[in-house]
Amino acid sequence: MRSLTRTGAVAAIALVVLSAAMPADSPVNVPEPDGIWTGPQRGYTPETLKGASVIDAGRLDALMPAGPLLLDVAMEDRKPAGFPDDRPWLPAHRSIPGAVWMPLAGAAPIDPEREALFYARVEALTGGDKAKPIVTFCHPECWGSWNAGKRLVLKGYTNVHWFPQGIEGWQDRHETAVIRPDPAWEAKSGGRAER
Amino acid sequence: MKPVHTLALGLALSAALLGGPARAAGASDTDAERAARWQEIAKSIFGDRKIEPTDTLVKIDAPARALDAALVPITLTMPEKDKIKAIHFVIDDNPSPYAAHISFGPAADPAELKLRVRVNNYTNVHAVAETRDGGLYEATQFVKASGGCSAPMGMSDEEAMKGMGDMRMKFAEGQPGKPVEATLMIRHPNFSGMQMNQVTRDYTPARYINKLTVTRGDQTVFTLDGDISISSNPVIGFGLNPEGKGPIKVAASDNQGGRWEHSFTVPSPSN
Repeated sequence: MRSLTRTGAVAAIALVVLSAAMPADSPVNVPEPDGIWTGPQRGYTPETLKGASVIDAGRLDALMPAGPLLLDVAMEDRKPAGFPDDRPWLPAHRSIPGAVWMPLAGAAPIDPEREALFYARVEALTGGDKAKPIVTFCHPECWGSWNAGKRLVLKGYTNVHWFPQGIEGWQDRHETAVIRPDPAWEAKSGGRAER
Repeated sequence: MKPVHTLALGLALSAALLGGPARAAGASDTDAERAARWQEIAKSIFGDRKIEPTDTLVKIDAPARALDAALVPITLTMPEKDKIKAIHFVIDDNPSPYAAHISFGPAADPAELKLRVRVNNYTNVHAVAETRDGGLYEATQFVKASGGCSAPMGMSDEEAMKGMGDMRMKFAEGQPGKPVEATLMIRHPNFSGMQMNQVTRDYTPARYINKLTVTRGDQTVFTLDGDISISSNPVIGFGLNPEGKGPIKVAASDNQGGRWEHSFTVPSPSN
C-alpha cells in the first residue's frame, strides 16, 4: 500500500516535470483506448496498437523495400484568421517521399462520409489486398496516425504498421519531399477538423 | 540501367558540392526543390530584383539542430556594417516564410542583430542584406527543428497575455566611442494562430507584433516588420551608434490593435 502511494506520487511528479519538457517518446504509460481515441489529438500516445505493429525509423527502413502504402494523416498548416494579404502565405507539407497524404484521416470524431472515403481510398490504393503492408504516420505525440492505424485494423487489414515518430523521425535520417494532399481526399474535403 | 547510373552520379555530385556528411543524405531533386521554393519566396518578396550570394555582407549563426523549435536563436552579423540598409530574414519552409524585415536608421550600429524565431520544419533559412546602393545579397543555412509554429505555450492564453506590452532593455557594459549592445525584451505571446488550445480544441487567434519602431532622440535605430514566425516574448539584440544621444523610445504594435510605448535611458559608458 505504502509503495503504491509512493509510486503514485512519483508518477505525479514525473508527469508535471515531463509535461513541461514534452519529450518525443512518452515515458508515461498511456493505455490503449478500447476503440478510436476521441480525446485531445495531441499528447502522449500508447506504446502499442493491438492488431498492428509499432515501428521505429530503423524498422521502417527495413520495410521500405516491400513497397508499403505510406499514409500520412498530418493536418495541413492552418492560415491564421486575418493574416495580411501582402505577406506571403506559402504552406509546404514535407513528408516521406511517395506518401499519400490524407490530412486528418485519423481525426475523431470524424464525419461518417469521410470515414467511408478513407476506407475507399485505402482499398483502392492497396488494390483490395488486405495483407498489403501499410504504414500510418503523422507527427510525434499525434493520435491521428494511431487512430488511422486502428481504423484499418478494425476494417480487417492484417499488415498495418504504426510509425509514431512520424515525419520528424523520418527527416532525422532521410530527405523529405513536398507533397500535395491525395486529390480524391481533398476534392471531398469537408469542414476543418482538429489534429 | 542508365537512370540508376544518373541518379548515383547526381547523388555523388550533390554530396560533393554540398561538402559533407551534414547534407550527404540530400538527393539532388530535393535540393532542386528547396532552391525552387526559395526562388518562389524571393519573387514574392523582392519581385524581379536580382539577389546575389554573399559570404561577407551578412552571416547567419543558427543552431544546426535547435533544442526548441519555438525558440530558435538567430544571430546575424554584418561585418561591413556601413553598407547595410536593411535585413530580410526568411524561414523557407515556414507557411509564412517572411519572418522579419529590419530597416536600420542612423542611430543604429548594424553590425549585429539577434532574434528568436519559430521553425516549422527542417529548412533553409535565408538572410538577405539590402545595401545602401540598393543591392540584395543572400546568405543561407540549414536548420533542423520542427513544430515551432504550432507548439502550444504550455500555459493558458490568459496567463500568456498577462503583462502584454511590458518591456525591458539591457545594455552591455560600454566603452566610450564604441557601439553599445542593447537587448530589448517584450512581453507578448505572439500567438501564431496555429496553436491549439488542448482543452477547448479551439485555435488561439493569431496575435503578434507586426511593427516595432525603435528611436533614439530624433533618429531611428531600426524598424522591424514581423509576423507569426517571431517567438513568443520577443527578444531582439541590436547595436547602438555611439554618436547617438538621448533616451531610447520603443513603440510596438500588434495585429489586434494593441500599441505600447516605453522609454529607456542609455547608461553613459564608464571610462
